[in-house]
Amino acid sequence: MDRLGLGLQVLQTYREMKKRQKNWAAVLQDGHQYDYLRDEVGSRVADRVYDIARTFPLALDIGGGKSHIAEHLTKNVVERLFLTDISQQTLKVQRQSDIPTQRVLADEEFLPFRENTFDLVLSSLTLHWINDLPGGLRQIHQVLKPDGVFIGAMVGGETLYELRCSLQLAEMEREGGFSPHVSPYTAVTDLGNLLGQAGFTMLTVDIDDVQVYYPGIMEVMTDLQGMGESNCAWNRRSMLHRDTMLAAAAIYKGQYCMSCGPSAL
Amino acid sequence: MSGSNVWSRSRERLRVFPELLSQCAGEAAVYGKCVAASTTGKQELKKDLCAKEFEVLKTCFTNAARKRIR
Repeated sequence: MDRLGLGLQVLQTYREMKKRQKNWAAVLQDGHQYDYLRDEVGSRVADRVYDIARTFPLALDIGGGKSHIAEHLTKNVVERLFLTDISQQTLKVQRQSDIPTQRVLADEEFLPFRENTFDLVLSSLTLHWINDLPGGLRQIHQVLKPDGVFIGAMVGGETLYELRCSLQLAEMEREGGFSPHVSPYTAVTDLGNLLGQAGFTMLTVDIDDVQVYYPGIMEVMTDLQGMGESNCAWNRRSMLHRDTMLAAAAIYKGQYCMSCGPSAL
Repeated sequence: MSGSNVWSRSRERLRVFPELLSQCAGEAAVYGKCVAASTTGKQELKKDLCAKEFEVLKTCFTNAARKRIR
């Protein structure tokens, strides 16, 4: 019982930390400059909604943030929208949309909705922070009506491998060991299984590559922070040593620099 | 939090990091190449394998930082 209690406490701190990071990111003066990824993926998710020739009377966007999907949809496709997010500050910063939207402060892991409520559930770039993904997917399945649709875009696969590798090599060379700085992601194959186990049928799982080029590792990390996507794994180190940061920056530039001449290699 | 504090000063230092690093591009490349070589070569990457190259890089970086403050 003790270990279970401690485990839950750790997970709560983890979600609490994520909430604080997102609140911080939401009130940044120039926060909109970090929206590019969510905007791009949001529009792609909206495309998938249009692919389904249906009108959805009631939809739910979980972890919707500033609402990056609804701005691409019309009232013909979605008549009414509920949008949840764990961060109150983010909910205050809402984009304009045709669709009447109700904002709800809620954790994706504890959806405050009755079963068989929604015709459509959307999720863009939020599921990767859910502790219990099978549970989360089951909840989504529960709040959906029997013929409901779930369309989600999730970070996975090889995302941020340049960042992860650079940090890993740098920590290895400078400190003799390494700790996790980038969360492990769900593999595409596992995702199919998880969706099936949660009760979904007629699955389609595919991979969309979004490549973003950065001048260096610091810019990657700054942008991630601005997106509210900083590390908050329970087993993360609380600091990054100065020397390791310098080493990682040099390794990143050397390995992954696109515009460097052959002399840099 | 208003005014200058340890967090804002820290962030400011980090903001100029890329600029300082660009002044040591050569040294960074040499260090990077050393580490990269260990991932493909026979030698396993362990602590201080490229310590010499790193010290050169760090000296350059520290000097660039000092020059900037003046």
